[in-house]
Amino acid sequence: MARSRNHEQWTSPPPFTSSEYVDSRIYSDQEIFEEELEKIFKKSWIPVCHESELPEPYDFRTVTIAKEPVILTRAKDGKIRAFLNVCPHRGNMLERSPSGSFLDGSPSGNPRHITCMFHAWQFDMKGRCIYISRQEEGYQDRLKKQQMGLRELKCEVYFGGFVWVSLNDQIDMTVEEWSAGSLAVLKPSLDEEPLEVFHYHKAIIPCNYKLWHDTNCEFYHDYLHYHNRITGFNDAYFARKNTGFDNGHINVGSFEVQYDNYEGSHSREEISFPHLPPNHWYMIDMFPGVNFNLRGSSLRCDIMTPLGPDKVMIEFRGLGLKSDDAVTRRARIDHHNSIWGPFGRNLHEDLLAVTGQGAAMNPRAEKRQILHGRHENETIHDENGMRHFYEEWGRWMDRMPSNPDKPFAESAGA
Amino acid sequence: MSSADAVRDSIYRSCMYKDDMEWEKWLNLCDEDFQYSITAYSPEIRNDMIYLSGGRDEMLGMMKMLPKHNSDHSPLKRHCSVYTVDLEDDGATATAVSSVVVYQTQLDGINCHVDAGSSNVFLVGRYFDKFRIADGVAKFVEREVKLDTRKLDKGTHYPI
Ligand code: FES
Ligand SMILES: [Fe+2]
Repeated sequence: MARSRNHEQWTSPPPFTSSEYVDSRIYSDQEIFEEELEKIFKKSWIPVCHESELPEPYDFRTVTIAKEPVILTRAKDGKIRAFLNVCPHRGNMLERSPSGSFLDGSPSGNPRHITCMFHAWQFDMKGRCIYISRQEEGYQDRLKKQQMGLRELKCEVYFGGFVWVSLNDQIDMTVEEWSAGSLAVLKPSLDEEPLEVFHYHKAIIPCNYKLWHDTNCEFYHDYLHYHNRITGFNDAYFARKNTGFDNGHINVGSFEVQYDNYEGSHSREEISFPHLPPNHWYMIDMFPGVNFNLRGSSLRCDIMTPLGPDKVMIEFRGLGLKSDDAVTRRARIDHHNSIWGPFGRNLHEDLLAVTGQGAAMNPRAEKRQILHGRHENETIHDENGMRHFYEEWGRWMDRMPSNPDKPFAESAGA
Repeated sequence: MSSADAVRDSIYRSCMYKDDMEWEKWLNLCDEDFQYSITAYSPEIRNDMIYLSGGRDEMLGMMKMLPKHNSDHSPLKRHCSVYTVDLEDDGATATAVSSVVVYQTQLDGINCHVDAGSSNVFLVGRYFDKFRIADGVAKFVEREVKLDTRKLDKGTHYPI
C-alpha cells in the first residue's frame, strides 16, 4: 500500500544500486564545493568564451575559473593567450572590463599594453613585463622585468572557435583528447565555417552547478516543458539515445522536432547549420559543467561558473554563422529567443525548476536521496547520462556520490 | 488633451495594463502593425542583441499560451518616467523616450515562506516608442525596450 514515510524510512537507501542515486549533500556542502574547485575545476579544460569576442589584435576578454580571475588577449600574431588577471606587483586585478582593446592607452599607461592602474607596471599581449615604474630607483639590480611576467595559462581555440583554458599546467591532453569523442557529433557543423555569438545573458541561481548540468543531461524533465511535449513525445523522440564518453561527457541523440505543433512556431529547416538534418536537435554535455545545444538553426552554449555550494553563474550564448545575412541572422535570433531567451518559453521553466531544487536542499537539511535510477535502454528518459557524470565525479573527488564520506568505488553497472 | 499628452497617456496606460497583466488591453493601445522588441547591448560579446520580439498578434498568442506553461508568477511593476515626446510636423506621428525600472515582488519564484512579499529590482532600461496619432488618441506602432540589465536570473514569461 502506498504510504508516506518517517525519518528512518525517508533516509534509508532507495531500492537502487549506489550508482543510481546521490546524496543531496553533494549539492549543498561547503567543504565538498571547495574540494570540487581544487580537484575538478582547476584541473580540467573549461571553455570560457568564443574567439569572436576578441576578434582583433590587442583585444581582450576577462573571465573567471574556480574563483581565479583570468584575462585573454589576442596578440599581433593573431594568437589568443590566457593569463591570470593579476598583477605580479601587489596583486591588483589588471583589467576590470568584460572586454575591450588595448590599442588605446589607459590613464596610467601606454597604447598596446596591459597596464596595471595601481603603480603603472605594463605588460604586452604575450604576458611579458615591459615596464616597471622607477625600476632602478626602487629595485636597483635586484628585480628584473624578465622575472615579472604574467602567469600564463594553457589555452586552446577548438570546436567552432570556443576558447578553452586550463589552470592545470600538468594537464596531459589537448581539448580534443579531453572531449574523448563527445564533440564529434557536432564538429562538422561547427567547423565548416566561422561562427559568431549573437546572444549573451547570464543568470545567478541559488542552486548547485551540478543541478543545472543534471537538467541539461536528463530529458525526463520534458514534462516541465509544454513546448517540448507538444513538439516531441513521439516514437522518434522516445528512441533518442544518451551516450556516455570518457571523462564524464555525454551526448543526447537527435530526432526531428515538430515545431509546427506549437502555435506560433515554425520549421527551422531552411537555415539549418551545415551538415545538420532539418529540425534536428543535438546536445553535448561536458564534464564538469558545459553544454552545447544545437536546435537546427541556432547553437546554444551554457558555461557554468560555480560561485558556492548553493550558487552558480550560468552564461548563455547563442551562435549563428558569421556569414549570415541580416534576414537569416534575425530568424536564428527569433528561433533562439522563442525557447532559450531570458523571455523565452523553456529556459525560464528550467531555471525555475533548479531554483526550486536549490531552495529545498539546504546544507544540514534532512538527507535527500536524489534518484537517477531510470533505465530505458539508454534512451531519452533513461537517466544513464547523469549516472555517467556522477561516476566520473566520484572518481575525481574520491567520494561516493551516494555517500560522500565514503571513498569512491567503481560501480559494476555504471 | 494635446498630442504630447495623448502620447504620455498611452505610455502610462500601457504600463498599468502590463502591471495588471491585462495583455489584451495593452495590445489594444497598439496599432495593427505594432512591433515589440526587448533589446540590449552586450559589452561581453560587443554586439547589439534582441532578447524578444514580435508583432501584436504574436504577443497576444504568446500570452494566451501561458496557462500551459510553468511560470514564475511573481508580479512585475513598471516604474516609468516619460523623458521626451517629439511630435513630427505632420502632427500624425510622434516618438517618445522613457526611463523604466521594473520591480519584481516575489510570490512563487524561490521559497515563498521566506521570500514571498519581498521586492527587488528586476531590470533597468528605457522605452523607445513610436506612435500614430488620430482623433486625439496615440497608438503604439513600435516599442523597443532597451535594457541595461543582462543578468536576468530566472527571466520571465511576461513582456516588459
Ligand atoms: S599592483 Fe600592479 S603595479 Fe602595483
Ligand atoms: Fe529543459
